[in-house]
Amino acid sequence: MTTVTLPQGEEALARSVRGDAAAFGDLVQEHQSMVFSIAYHFLHDRGRAEEVAQDVFLRLYRHLDSIKSGDHLVFWLRKVTCRRSIDEVRKLPKAPPTSLEDVAEPVAESPEVDPLLSRGLQRMVASLSEDARAVIILRYQEELELADIAEILDIPVNTVKSRLQRSLEILREKFHRWAGDVQR
Amino acid sequence: MIPFEEKLRNALRHEAAPEGFAERVLARTQREPEPGVKTWRQLKALVSGPAFRWALATAAVCLVIAAVLVHNQRQERLRQEGELARVQVRQALHIASVKLNVARKKVQEINREAPSSRL
Repeated sequence: MTTVTLPQGEEALARSVRGDAAAFGDLVQEHQSMVFSIAYHFLHDRGRAEEVAQDVFLRLYRHLDSIKSGDHLVFWLRKVTCRRSIDEVRKLPKAPPTSLEDVAEPVAESPEVDPLLSRGLQRMVASLSEDARAVIILRYQEELELADIAEILDIPVNTVKSRLQRSLEILREKFHRWAGDVQR
Repeated sequence: MIPFEEKLRNALRHEAAPEGFAERVLARTQREPEPGVKTWRQLKALVSGPAFRWALATAAVCLVIAAVLVHNQRQERLRQEGELARVQVRQALHIASVKLNVARKKVQEINREAPSSRL
């Protein structure tokens, strides 16, 4: 008799469905960074992002029997995190638009990642509308294709395309104004 | 010069989850029923609930009413069939009686004519 060996993630999923708490812990460890990052880039608040991420994993625990594969799990986590983050943003009182003075000044451009510049861009992303934020995060954090983003957000591909273009225009404009102010 | 989209990609890199995140999630799951057991428990809760008992009682009453109706219909059909058979037997007996009368008259006529022809 031959034994079918499942990939590590798939095996952890199969064991989790059977009620193995340690295997579920492995699943959380594997995907926590992705889930937390989506929530953090939405909310720009580590405390709230953790709350959202925990809720997402708790919801996963309750719906484990509906997850069909490792790929489905990743898709499900992205979808639920986006929805939960959008709900969380809508619960918050409307924040005033990000002023350029609130964003730290960028340092001289280097090929490595500039933490100040990244933080500034993160704040600019967090100032976009929830729908635009979702598209930008899924495109540039998760590196997803437009069709995949459309599937996760349950919207047509053309809507994703137009939202992405519009959001990039806004972000570019904000970024250039910010960089221009700093140079002056 | 780094293209803008690359800057965005760098800014939106994965962040590490806070220390002890997975442990806190697992602690919360301890208070939840086991995932596999959930469906069975839901089913058990549904079956033991008063709504289910009412539905079951209503279904039983409906079943008894349906059985009585079917039984009554069958009895009525049998009665009608019996009535029809009775009428048919009566008709058959009447026809047989008429035919016998005709035959009897013929025999009497033959008997009356027979002595004279013997002479």
